[in-house]
Amino acid sequence: MTTTTLEHSAVEPSAQRASQWHRVQHRLAPYLFVSPFLILFVLFGAWPIIKSLVLSTYTTNGPKDAVYVGAKNFQFLLSDADFHVAVKNTAVFAFWSVVLQLPTALGLAILLSQPWVRGRALFRLAFFAPYLVGSVFVAVLFNVLFQPQYGLINTVLHFLLPSHFPLDYKWLEDASHVMPALVLAGLWLYVGLHMIYLLAAIQAVDKDLYEAAQVDGANTRQQFWAVTLPGIRPVAIFVLLTSTIGSFQLFDLPYILLNNGPGPNQSGLTIVMYLYNTGFVTGDLGYASAVGWTLALGVLLISLIQLRVTGAFKGENE
Amino acid sequence: MMRTFPFGTAALLMLFCSIVSGAWLGLHPAAQKQADLTFWTFTKIHYDPYTETIPTFEQQHHCKVDLQLVDTRAVTSRLQAAMLSDVDVPDLVEIPIDFAPAFFRGPLEHVGFIDLTQRIHQAGLWDKMVQARFAPYTSRGHIFGLPHDVHPVQLAYRSDIFAQEGVDVSKIKTWDDFIRIGRKLTIPNKRYMLELYDFRSAHLEACMFQRGGGYFDPQGHCIFDNDIGVQTMLWFVPLVAGPHKIAGSIGSGQILTQAVEDGYFLCLVCPDWRSKSIEKDIPRMAGKMKLMPLPAVTANSRHTSTWGGTMLGITRHCKNPDLAWQLALHLYLNKKELGKRYEGTNILPALRAAWSEPSFSQPRPYWCNQPIGALYAKLAPDVPFQYTSPFIATAKDKLGEALVACVQYYNANGDNGFEPFVRATLKEKADQVRALAARNPY
Amino acid sequence: MKEPTSPTLPAVYSVNAQDAAIKEPSITSGQQHPSDTPRQDSGRVGEGLLRVLVYVLLCLAAVLMLMPLVWLVAATTKNSDDLLHYTFFATRPVSLFGHNFALLKPFSVDNFKALFAAIPFGRYMLNSVFISCTTVIIQLFFSSLAGFALAKYEFRGKKLIILLMLATVMIPTQVTMAPLYELIYRMGLVNTYPGLLIPSAVSVFGIFLFRQAILQVPDELLHAARIDGCSEFRIYRDIVMPVSRPMVGAFCLISFMGAWNNFLWPQIILHSNEHFTLPIGLNTLVGPQSQLYGALMAGTFLSILPVIVLFLLLQKEFIAGLTSGAVKG
Repeated sequence: MTTTTLEHSAVEPSAQRASQWHRVQHRLAPYLFVSPFLILFVLFGAWPIIKSLVLSTYTTNGPKDAVYVGAKNFQFLLSDADFHVAVKNTAVFAFWSVVLQLPTALGLAILLSQPWVRGRALFRLAFFAPYLVGSVFVAVLFNVLFQPQYGLINTVLHFLLPSHFPLDYKWLEDASHVMPALVLAGLWLYVGLHMIYLLAAIQAVDKDLYEAAQVDGANTRQQFWAVTLPGIRPVAIFVLLTSTIGSFQLFDLPYILLNNGPGPNQSGLTIVMYLYNTGFVTGDLGYASAVGWTLALGVLLISLIQLRVTGAFKGENE
Repeated sequence: MMRTFPFGTAALLMLFCSIVSGAWLGLHPAAQKQADLTFWTFTKIHYDPYTETIPTFEQQHHCKVDLQLVDTRAVTSRLQAAMLSDVDVPDLVEIPIDFAPAFFRGPLEHVGFIDLTQRIHQAGLWDKMVQARFAPYTSRGHIFGLPHDVHPVQLAYRSDIFAQEGVDVSKIKTWDDFIRIGRKLTIPNKRYMLELYDFRSAHLEACMFQRGGGYFDPQGHCIFDNDIGVQTMLWFVPLVAGPHKIAGSIGSGQILTQAVEDGYFLCLVCPDWRSKSIEKDIPRMAGKMKLMPLPAVTANSRHTSTWGGTMLGITRHCKNPDLAWQLALHLYLNKKELGKRYEGTNILPALRAAWSEPSFSQPRPYWCNQPIGALYAKLAPDVPFQYTSPFIATAKDKLGEALVACVQYYNANGDNGFEPFVRATLKEKADQVRALAARNPY
Repeated sequence: MKEPTSPTLPAVYSVNAQDAAIKEPSITSGQQHPSDTPRQDSGRVGEGLLRVLVYVLLCLAAVLMLMPLVWLVAATTKNSDDLLHYTFFATRPVSLFGHNFALLKPFSVDNFKALFAAIPFGRYMLNSVFISCTTVIIQLFFSSLAGFALAKYEFRGKKLIILLMLATVMIPTQVTMAPLYELIYRMGLVNTYPGLLIPSAVSVFGIFLFRQAILQVPDELLHAARIDGCSEFRIYRDIVMPVSRPMVGAFCLISFMGAWNNFLWPQIILHSNEHFTLPIGLNTLVGPQSQLYGALMAGTFLSILPVIVLFLLLQKEFIAGLTSGAVKG
């Protein structure tokens, strides 16, 4: 397959034969195809973003009043203890999510990719099922599962490790356990998704490479390092970056899990939740916009790395 | 069909579902009302009785009232979004006490709610209602909300277990008495004397209010790190942490229900509204629960505090503030109605005259035939003032953070250096609130 | 020829993968893998042990992953007295031949009754079905159409559009909430279904997905169709879309889940009970004073059922489409 997209020179001979109408509709087609999207996108995607950018240079006190403050919002962010907590929590969540989710997902994918494993579809479904539940309902469910004394998680942990986990071990009420609880719920929710990506990548690795490696006398472990890992690298990087970006935009899960708040001692406060609280609870939409734009810049940075590494959007320049 | 539909079976199925459900929804649209007044409330407990009484008002004033039940958390975010965009703002809103002050920011003339001070004084409500309850809805001397309730606090206790253990409740006058008995009855990890949150501020603040402290002074300056705040914290933390803890928390809802039934908690901090939740949620404890006044800090000091609240405000967008005011009076001042409503909610209205309605002194079988309305009413005049500021939500979070930090410190170090730590922590957190408030250019 | 930095999946993976996936997935790669051939005897015992270990690990993981879901199902079958007393299903002791056995109690429908008594769950469900399905259809049509245009045509402003989409796709939606609300109101769409549908009518993510998929459709196919006199829209309808079917399946599920789980925007835009979607409606049951865990769990169970059904329906297309899209980024 060539990477160049349709060029006019290539169409010309056939276009000459075609009717006038045919030529016109061909020229107009891309504009028509793109316009419904473009109109909606500009109106409901781009315009509010620009408006919120303007808003971020204001302090809005109460709904009526916007006082122009220039870059003061961004200055205050640098000294705002809550924002720092939010950034720290979000980064900690992102770190542990990546550190736990990806190796677990990779491990499961490797186990499942063994050619002799039976019931692969069933296992895959079992691992993927939590993701289907969706973050809102996972949060509702785990809100009950994490309850002390009667919740499933404490029941199981107490059964396994009675000395470490008393039945009234608190997850969501104890500031130092909220983050582990969030990471745990996130792990349960997302590991199946990552596994699906990685499994597909492993299965798509060129089989000839394994044979070549075997001929060269590589054992299973060497094959993994020499063939599998390089083969799935782009997908692994994609999963790494999307899960990092997703973690940075965390909102639903902690918000509902912690009964619509940041949890004890702000231990579940994330950047987006902080944005939501300052904007829609305290009522300073300007400051919230500044928080949003700070987050957006961070996420943009990560996304650019992602696009660069995976080499998406190759080809439209030719 | 399959051959010509380019997106495959699943998409076709969705198209089908979309058309069928859309058609059904199109045939059953939401009733669109052209109302003279739109009124948002956030809890079914208020909504249900209002639906009964509003038709009377509509008849009397020949108008249409559109009463809407808006989710508690949505009420703030949606009102904020509505007021920001100046659109779709209701005429009247009931808002929980924690969220209302966020709307009092900005210059007085731009506060989202109408200043009710004048109307309140004209109607004589300042004297007819519990004055302490205006404080949470007052900003810079102007009252923006009518108090829905008083919410005095008592303790609900397992009278069967107390009887079994030979506890004489009438001897519990002060917290010292209470704690002494609590130490005897508490069995670590199995039974605690009292449910107290050790991770958020709701119960700590009630204790602070009881001692005359608070988050803010009447001018709206943050003061929870003052001496009263420090003393409350020093006293509160050993109750929920360390080797002699007699209180704790395990969660809410059904978990709590189960814990009360199992005798895990013997007492609950119980404002009037919670007595209704207990009746509803723990029906099996009927005849085994009783109320006692909150133990006093010292002999002869107040036997109550306060927890929660609701205000009714008229928004600046209201086209007919007089009619809205009439509705507010209709809902909050009708003694007969209030008496009837009390039976369904257990909530003591702010209008003092209403407390003499017979329903308040009715014995309640659930509470071993205690006339709980009268008990709450007796404490109501002592309900402490709580002053507020637009930064109340932040202040609550910060006090909660300070509590968590102090609990952690106490668990690790005990009394060793505890007081300086408490003082420093409270100051640090209060400073954060003050820093936030200092950004306010008004 | 493949692009030099192209990921490992074949360029026409989406087409191949669909064919492969239609077969039983558990054996798809089994026949080709080298290690499937018998090994030397020295490895036999170790190999057997290894296989047992793999199965043990897989089963353990499956149990851990499924346990909360089993708990959820169990919770819906218990009456409120049993809800917290039994970890999973409620049992009753039965004495038989001097031995005591635990027998399942008959399932209770109390939770479902409580659910339907507490909230108009049917209406919420219908709202959610309508909103989600309509969103998917609209997004699918607009995204694939635009994705096609961006993949297979050269036209003025194309680069600008892509740049614009790239710039906005990373911005968290919360940033735009207040201005968007105002806009929707000015259009008179607050508390209406269109107010919910229109802002999510286009999915930038979907356009990227379709663009990537359609880039892989051989140009020769389109050329041939044009020579046959096909209009551009017919090419889209009869060639491009059927060839991209796995991506359509994947997109349907992803988009459906997104709409189904959407929480914050409906919370702000919808006012009346009649319009509530499931997440918003169910969330009214969650609260510090909630006593309706049973009903809540029943509601959660019913809420996730449609997604599970859809997944089972789309599983093969979904995995093939998702992964081919993912690999392309």
